[in-house]
Amino acid sequence: MRYDQARWTNDEARYEPLLSEKSTTEVSTDDSPLPDDLTRDSLALPDLSEPELARHYTRLSQMNYGVESGPFPLGSCTMKYNPSFTEDLAAHPAAAVHPDQPTRTTQGTLELLFGLQDYLGRIGGMDAVSLQPPAGAAGEFAGILVAKASHEHSGEGQRSEVIVPESAHGTNFASAAMAGYDVVSLASDDDGRVDLDALEAAVGEETAALMLTNPNTLGLFERDIEAIADIVHDAGGLLYYDGANLNALLGQARPGDMGFDVMHYNVHKTFATPHGGGGPGAGPIGVTAELAPFLPSPQVERSDSGYEFVEPDHSIGKVHGFYGNWLVLVKAYAYIARLGDGGLEDASAKAVLNANYLAEQMDFEVPFEPFHHEFVASAGDRDAADVAKRMLDHGVHPPTTKWPEIVSEALMTEPTEVESRRTLEHLAEAFNAVADEDDETLAAAPESTAARRIDQVRAAREPRLSWQSLGEYTGGRTH
Amino acid sequence: MSFNVPDDLRYLDTHEWVRQDDDTATVGISDFAQDELGDVVFVELPDEGDELTAGTDFGVVESIKAVSDVYAPVSGTVTAVNDDLIDRPELLNEDPYGDGWLLELELADESELDGLLSPDEYSDQIA
Amino acid sequence: MSDNHSRGSPYAPHTEAMTMAMLDAVDAESEAALFDIPDTVTFDGKFDIPERSERATRRHVEGILGRNDDLTAFMGRGHYDHYVPSVVEDLAGRSEFLTSYTQYQPEVAQGFLQALFEYQSMLVALTGLDVANCSMYDGATALGEAVTLSQRVRSISGDRVLVPDLLRDGKREVLENYAAGPGVIVDTYSTADGNVDTAALEETFDDDVAMVYAENPTVRGTIEEHLSAVGDLADAHDALFCLGSDPVALALLEAPASVGTDIVVGDASSLGIGTAYGFGLGLFVTREEYLRQVPGRLVGAATDESDRRTYTLTLQTREQHIRRERATSNICTNQAWVALRTAIHAVWLGPDGLLDLAESCVTRATDLAARVDEIRGVKAPVHDRHHFREFVAHTDQPAGAVRAGLADNGYGVHAVGDHEIQICVTETTERAVEEFIETLAEVAV
Repeated sequence: MRYDQARWTNDEARYEPLLSEKSTTEVSTDDSPLPDDLTRDSLALPDLSEPELARHYTRLSQMNYGVESGPFPLGSCTMKYNPSFTEDLAAHPAAAVHPDQPTRTTQGTLELLFGLQDYLGRIGGMDAVSLQPPAGAAGEFAGILVAKASHEHSGEGQRSEVIVPESAHGTNFASAAMAGYDVVSLASDDDGRVDLDALEAAVGEETAALMLTNPNTLGLFERDIEAIADIVHDAGGLLYYDGANLNALLGQARPGDMGFDVMHYNVHKTFATPHGGGGPGAGPIGVTAELAPFLPSPQVERSDSGYEFVEPDHSIGKVHGFYGNWLVLVKAYAYIARLGDGGLEDASAKAVLNANYLAEQMDFEVPFEPFHHEFVASAGDRDAADVAKRMLDHGVHPPTTKWPEIVSEALMTEPTEVESRRTLEHLAEAFNAVADEDDETLAAAPESTAARRIDQVRAAREPRLSWQSLGEYTGGRTH
Repeated sequence: MSFNVPDDLRYLDTHEWVRQDDDTATVGISDFAQDELGDVVFVELPDEGDELTAGTDFGVVESIKAVSDVYAPVSGTVTAVNDDLIDRPELLNEDPYGDGWLLELELADESELDGLLSPDEYSDQIA
Repeated sequence: MSDNHSRGSPYAPHTEAMTMAMLDAVDAESEAALFDIPDTVTFDGKFDIPERSERATRRHVEGILGRNDDLTAFMGRGHYDHYVPSVVEDLAGRSEFLTSYTQYQPEVAQGFLQALFEYQSMLVALTGLDVANCSMYDGATALGEAVTLSQRVRSISGDRVLVPDLLRDGKREVLENYAAGPGVIVDTYSTADGNVDTAALEETFDDDVAMVYAENPTVRGTIEEHLSAVGDLADAHDALFCLGSDPVALALLEAPASVGTDIVVGDASSLGIGTAYGFGLGLFVTREEYLRQVPGRLVGAATDESDRRTYTLTLQTREQHIRRERATSNICTNQAWVALRTAIHAVWLGPDGLLDLAESCVTRATDLAARVDEIRGVKAPVHDRHHFREFVAHTDQPAGAVRAGLADNGYGVHAVGDHEIQICVTETTERAVEEFIETLAEVAV
């Protein structure tokens, strides 16, 4: 299979022109109802008719690739199909409520939030859930703040370190640092898992938490998870679960049962809400009963008179100005309500089956097994980034590349449950075809996408971050 | 692949070089280091007059995908920084021992130079 | 496919025969055999979540949402309702946008990258500052990120941030959570008649201040008249001046760059989304000199192999996936799709339409305040200022009772003091103004 993405070309220097290049008008504020000293002088913005703007954004969409365009086996990102009906529900007029309305007028919203708190609690094996964090990293930040508040509450505020495995998502390190912690990096053992001896050596009176992804970024289940939990708990620390890989475990195992004290869910991964070109997502957190009093405020509870907001006794306060990414939460609730037990369990089973089936047919070596919903192949002596670019020409989105670093020239691949056997075979063919091509072909790729290989170096050396700063930046070097 | 390791310099195991000229010293990063980083896109340097302590970081060198701290091989006061790198960070790749120098120091303690790696020792390290 | 499913995910295409063949190919007896999970932590219980058809799920969720009252909300205080044209839903809803990922493969994602570059550029036009990122979560978290930025800027040495006493409680809580990490103290300065009390601000200002925050319009709907004075104080004490605003207000009110603002934050979802329970879009715009300290993703121009101008995520070494614990922020997933919607909405309005909308925010609030002032038992506006979208009214009756009385009749307002309600009006609620006035007159006496 071959793929030719739409490519709108304006001239030798540009693809689709910018809005500002199509039409810009400057308007004056002279006739405004305000005194001059409270207003700006004028405003210059693009000025297009609705048909013109419809064509502009339609063309841009044609120069973009989504899950509905084709396979998207991006490791760690869980790019599964986003059911259309959830969009209709999020757009339902009854979902359009103001956050400051009295709760007796928003019982439907509270009921849905309560229902999702309940669903997520069951799925993760957690006693209480907060839906407020608007993304996975925000969930990590909130979860670590909960851990910190609990340590401070029990007179353990001296704990100053969060331990993070070397191969963890970058957000783990950054979230712990943002919460004021020193980050201790933990090396993996030769099998790609947590090294228990290294963990023993790392924990102590300073340990506030260990952040862990399970299965880890290699797709491997941390089989020693109970021992890990004991080591961390014995040292007085808490165990944090990064939910990025939860799509491997639905119905098979729950973080709460493994000894995790606090976790976040990535609903834009596991629960199929669209990634939207980078967001919005949602990153609810689940905690044990012991940590529930520290959750963000408010929580939704059910009483005789209906649903109400309650502030947890020792709440960390808020991590979002209002109640998080409400519309995303509606979609996540609808997805879970549609799938139910059977669908959720099957999603993970098929995600793991698909990863195994794909890996089985690939020529690139997969050094770490047994993996689950994703695996990390090695491009060997090929440049993984070049492999990725060339895969675009074969009509598939490439995997995540060059990470985790424990595998050289990593190709981190996660097909998800939504691909058929035939699509997986096509994916494998794409990988294998690229593996057989010469380095020059790879370095020249991609050729069939809207843009050819992009010069990242120039972009970073000469940052031009708005059309106002472009100057003569229309191709070719400026110096 | 072999890397250029000039004979007249001293090195730090974190890949910085230093060139002594009486009581001043010029500091940069090695050919090996620039190759490891790839195309350098940004360099952050201290201000003139800043005091540097041997072994501590004084700036960063960035490529597209990596950030590297740069460490002071010796202690001293910064007397000049290479402003050309602001607009042309590629000088670090093109000429790491020449136009790609980072800064000049007034040496606080000349004897610190003795503790640095010789060209041979550094060559062995990166071999 | 069938709408019913009893044996698995409706979005997994596997037939039983296909599953068996695949298991065979990977040499596994069953799907369960593929999981390498110790028995002791294997889950053998049930979630007890029923499986539903799509039809039944829609009915179920619509039933829940239907238990929201149909309130006409004359409400704002940071979350606003402007009419969103159908073309926004239509274009942003295209699956190539909606179902795409972050643009780590820019060659195949030029469309979204260009849209975000254009979004950034429009914020640059609206603020007069140099660098806009391509989104934060909301106005509150963007403010938190501004404070952490202040701690990374070499020329700033303080560890206090000053915020107005009117700041929304929720926003302040978020700010305090972000400020706690780097050890910044959040202090309050007084306002006078709904504006910055410059004398009080000067009193509390000192060289230990890293950043001062003000809003325009303020959370009580007043237009701030002392921005230049705030900017001057910040300059005098080597502190950053962070301004909270939104794209509609920015179209008309003083350009932030002209009053000494260093960072503009706020909620840009006033365009593109409408009322959505606080679902937001954090805008973040700052000066070029702080470029390396900016949190979140940045889209920049680039060139490709054919020498044409393209777009790409750039300066990524600031971000968590490269710089880890030393990143400028932990943010990864952001609100890109909301930024796309906001951009489309802004273009649909155009400069004339956006300015008209902003001017109508002034006239509608002014006109409604005058009407409300005629009601017995109500005085409006409380503040002798110009207003934008909303205003505070004094009620002789307890504000809570007035709010409840209005809610019983299908109208929403804020109760912001014992005898103060806050009323917001935009083009989406204007149709209901007459009935609202009548109802207010009944419940306010």
